[in-house]
Amino acid sequence: MTKSFIEESQQNFQHDLMFRVEDVPLKCNPPAAELEQTLHGLMQMNGYIIRSLEEIAGRGANAVTFRAGKKFGHEVAKYFQKKDNVEEALRELSYILYGQYSFEPWKPADKDHYIVEENGSTFIYLVFHDCIVRQTLRRIGQEQSGPLCQTLCGYVVGAIEEITGRRAKLEIVHTGPNACLKKVILK
Amino acid sequence: MIQISVDEQACNGCGLCVKDCPMNVFEMGSGVSIPRRPENCMGCLSCHEICPAQALEHQGVVPSRRMYISSRVCSMLNRVI
Ligand code: SF4
Ligand code: SF4
Repeated sequence: MTKSFIEESQQNFQHDLMFRVEDVPLKCNPPAAELEQTLHGLMQMNGYIIRSLEEIAGRGANAVTFRAGKKFGHEVAKYFQKKDNVEEALRELSYILYGQYSFEPWKPADKDHYIVEENGSTFIYLVFHDCIVRQTLRRIGQEQSGPLCQTLCGYVVGAIEEITGRRAKLEIVHTGPNACLKKVILK
Repeated sequence: MIQISVDEQACNGCGLCVKDCPMNVFEMGSGVSIPRRPENCMGCLSCHEICPAQALEHQGVVPSRRMYISSRVCSMLNRVI
């Protein structure tokens, strides 16, 4: 005889595992391979929040998401080392973004240096390889460069400002399906 | 370094890759796209996405994670195909 949904649920959610207060979870549970559907649900939900925000707030959506990202960046980077040296600051940034975003410095082949000093500012191009924002947007078929990308821009700006103690700006130069090019400017 | 090749038999000369590449890697010559400056390629693969003839090949591009791919949807598609 087929079970009713309630009976099925009771069976599915029955467990005799003992929880003790002193138990500290040491690993992510369930293993990552089993998290695919959770991840997809999260990416889709995030994507729809951003799409709706854009529909309601228009261009103001970028300001909201940038600010949210920036706060996040400052908050996370507080606990990381402060660095004056731009290259060392980028290393610190790569630790902060580890597992979510990966990047490498980039320069046109005819230029000698990655880090350029110009009119009192410093700039460097970064190619972003792994990016959870890009994954999310592609998951729901939405264009890149919009408000969700601004969360990452804010995140990087907040983190790099916190690490270097300098004002920062991030320009999106190009967005692609496999990598995106961004320009970090430090004042 | 990234190496780029264009399948001259497949390329229809539309020039979309020339317009779309942010690094001006391609130029048109004799009705097909020619990767003149592969050393400037940053591996975004925008050109792959836009090329209607699937004529492009890049070797040495860092593949980014593709978490947006749903194995459930893909296995269903595979069954249909
Ligand atoms: S991968 Fe990007 S940078 Fe490289 S040739 Fe294609 S469009 Fe240009
Ligand atoms: S986009 Fe493709 S078909 Fe069009 S010119 Fe470039 S390589 Fe040829």
